[in-house]
Amino acid sequence: MVLRKSGLAAAVLLACSPAAFSDDLNINGFMNVTAGNLSTEDISLDGYDDGVSFDVGTVVGLQMSKQVNDTTSATVQLISRGSDNYSTEASWAYVTYAANENTDIRMGRLRTPFFYYSDFLEVGYAYNWVRPPSIVYRLDAFSSISGVDVTHRFAIAGMDGSVQAYTGRYNDDFTLSGDTYNIELRRAAGLVFSLNSGDFGARLSYHQADLTLDVDPTGGRALDNLAAGGALAGVGDEFTADEDKAKFYQASVSYDNGSTAVIAEWTALDQTTALLNDDSAYLISAAQRFGDATVHLTYTVAEDDLESGVVGQVQKNAESKENSIILGMRYDYDSSTAFKVDIQQHDEELVNGAKGESGLLYNVGMSLVF
Amino acid sequence: MNMFKVISRLAIAMTFFVTALANAEVAVIVSASNANSALDQDTISRVFLGKTSNFPDGSQAIPVDQNEGSASREAFNDKVLGKSSSQLKAYWSRLIFTGKGTPPKESGSDADIKNLVAKNPNLIGYVDSSVVDSSVKVVFKF
Repeated sequence: MVLRKSGLAAAVLLACSPAAFSDDLNINGFMNVTAGNLSTEDISLDGYDDGVSFDVGTVVGLQMSKQVNDTTSATVQLISRGSDNYSTEASWAYVTYAANENTDIRMGRLRTPFFYYSDFLEVGYAYNWVRPPSIVYRLDAFSSISGVDVTHRFAIAGMDGSVQAYTGRYNDDFTLSGDTYNIELRRAAGLVFSLNSGDFGARLSYHQADLTLDVDPTGGRALDNLAAGGALAGVGDEFTADEDKAKFYQASVSYDNGSTAVIAEWTALDQTTALLNDDSAYLISAAQRFGDATVHLTYTVAEDDLESGVVGQVQKNAESKENSIILGMRYDYDSSTAFKVDIQQHDEELVNGAKGESGLLYNVGMSLVF
Repeated sequence: MNMFKVISRLAIAMTFFVTALANAEVAVIVSASNANSALDQDTISRVFLGKTSNFPDGSQAIPVDQNEGSASREAFNDKVLGKSSSQLKAYWSRLIFTGKGTPPKESGSDADIKNLVAKNPNLIGYVDSSVVDSSVKVVFKF
């Protein structure tokens, strides 16, 4: 029996090895294991509580890409998140067609390129924090989109740049403060422009979509109640979302000379519907490397921007304003493993229009790539 | 031969050995049939970081790395690319998982790289100067 089993194993190994070691099948993976603890439950942040939690920030990703022919490749990225009971989903699944050596066209399920860190949002090894500050990196629900994009790379005057344009749609459930809504983004489209010159980089992006939310003034969920409040104040028409235009702006500048790194990123959300408040959020972060250790400090702020008049009075019930200071250290254990510690002082100046509390979030984590 | 002599000879031999190591020169090579004669450090670094896929004459450039841990690779990363191995890993992990780039293929030791590069005019690699022969052309030395 033992022999037969090992014979089977060998056969499986033989059957698999040509594919596994063939030139053009690439398998890459990443993993973040994170533990977090909140000093007080008077604040809410990243899904943590005042006990120690491992699941919230634990992510495993496996990417397979296969060069089909000279111009076409297929890529699948499977991700399993602790925050989602480790169920596996294809965050990305797309076909890339190289129209020429500087232009790629991708079709399928893509990562929405909202932010500077969007492309490697969950690859903890690629950045210093345990995770990018969530009060700026706040569009998690729409981090993947089904559609098509075109990326064109160019070099001018000693600078490297790229332009990426995408269009697609998104339809899924999303959860806000414990309530679940169905959300649909139609005619989603965006343009990303980035430029690098030596140690300096800049990125500008614009995104828009027609937003539909299944809000019902009698439904009893938070946004339903807000819509009911709007109706009561005589501005119910403003508190609906039926293909209402939503716009998102992003700008960042970065510097990294290998030992000192600085990034500033600003973002703003501009909604037509009054159900979701307009807001702006930014972060400024600096990091200094000392051999295998990197120490970093970040200041980040998010603030709602209300409409004027009666609509604004109703929106005030959902107004939020918060800021955080994050002090952290990353230690490169070897060339594929990093250990991280972050301490975040989070201050909720306004929660649902009322004065909030402040507290500390402690995170320790390990990020690896393979 | 007394003990002292043995030790002093050993010491002299060791000195030569260490000096040889310290002076080991790394050469960036292309095939002898490649039309490009010399490349500057910036061009080489752009090719190895995936920022360009062409030689200055316009032909396709495919970089090949030595296996992790080789002395030539450490020297190349440090002196030509100016990055530590973990910084390079972080650099590539930003590109791999976006489908925007793949790192140079790990293709063996000094001798393996020289043999590969000799056969293919599109390849570019780096090797210890001691293995260079007429089948390849040195385009940069450090």
